[in-house]
Amino acid sequence: MPDFIEPLRRRLVELGCPSKQMRRLVREVTEHRDDLKQAGLAEGLSDADAGTRANAQLGDPQVVAEQMMVALRRSSWWGRHYVITFSLLPVLVFPVLWLLFLFLELLLAVTLGYSWNWDKMHAAANNPVTFHHMLIAFYIMDYLAVALATLLFCWLARRAAVKLKWMAISCIVCALVAVIVWARLEPHSFFVGFSANSHLHMPWYRGAIPLLVALAMYVLQRRTIHLFREPVAG
Amino acid sequence: MKKTNPSFLNGVPELLVLRLLARQEMYGYQIVEEIRTRTKEALVFGEGCIYPYLHYLEAEKLVSSRRQAVEGRNRNYYRLTRRGQRRLEMLTAEWDRVTSGVALLMEGQHA
Repeated sequence: MPDFIEPLRRRLVELGCPSKQMRRLVREVTEHRDDLKQAGLAEGLSDADAGTRANAQLGDPQVVAEQMMVALRRSSWWGRHYVITFSLLPVLVFPVLWLLFLFLELLLAVTLGYSWNWDKMHAAANNPVTFHHMLIAFYIMDYLAVALATLLFCWLARRAAVKLKWMAISCIVCALVAVIVWARLEPHSFFVGFSANSHLHMPWYRGAIPLLVALAMYVLQRRTIHLFREPVAG
Repeated sequence: MKKTNPSFLNGVPELLVLRLLARQEMYGYQIVEEIRTRTKEALVFGEGCIYPYLHYLEAEKLVSSRRQAVEGRNRNYYRLTRRGQRRLEMLTAEWDRVTSGVALLMEGQHA
């Protein structure tokens, strides 16, 4: 009878189980296996036979891993309503996060000494060097908001233990929103809107940010699976 | 009270686990053994499958867990929460309703 614990751990990693839940399940199943083995030894079985029987009693590690993922999915709102969460919520959350970052940028301006004084703001906008700095800060905040909104949904997908395709869908939705919703900062003016084909579009690479985040998450997950597939030394 | 009971069989494991934990806190192995012995092996819970189930019940706040060392061994002990107690009362009432309904039908067939 093959080992139970390592196949269980490997399958959990393949299914994208969050590490905290995985560690806990593996620990509990290992303790359970020890109890079953002890019971076998108490019945007079040899160490090897008791271990073999314990593994058999635990069942199929693939099934246990899949049940764990189902339990994780059922235990969160995100997991139960994954279609809404990963295909519709990005459309709503993205602008909210983006506005939050805009507010943070205003706070930064206040911290730098502009206060809420519009005269000072207008004076700064008239200065090309200061305005250039404001523009850089604006773009940094904007790209950060795009990246963080995407990361938020990637994290939720991991927490909710949904399939990788739902994480990919949320990233694609974020990319679409990033391309369609645009914002522009000009001296004394700020524009925001949405358009499918307009010269007012944000740079194309704004839409590429979520796709890059998705790619990074995918590579990270494949790398983790690969690490767990490697045979244990010794 | 719910008029339909499409998932009453799905609720049996939940009822059993909550019922056992209402008496005392237990760890996974103990729960599986208790179900096996108390039902005279009529019901056998999958040994490895108890944990995903317990984790789900904990996420639903029906049970809580704590790590405890007993006789030199660390284990996760599970206990019923107040919410779990209310859920148990509801499931018990539902179970009584279903079993009395089935009993009535069986009596009718034997008559």
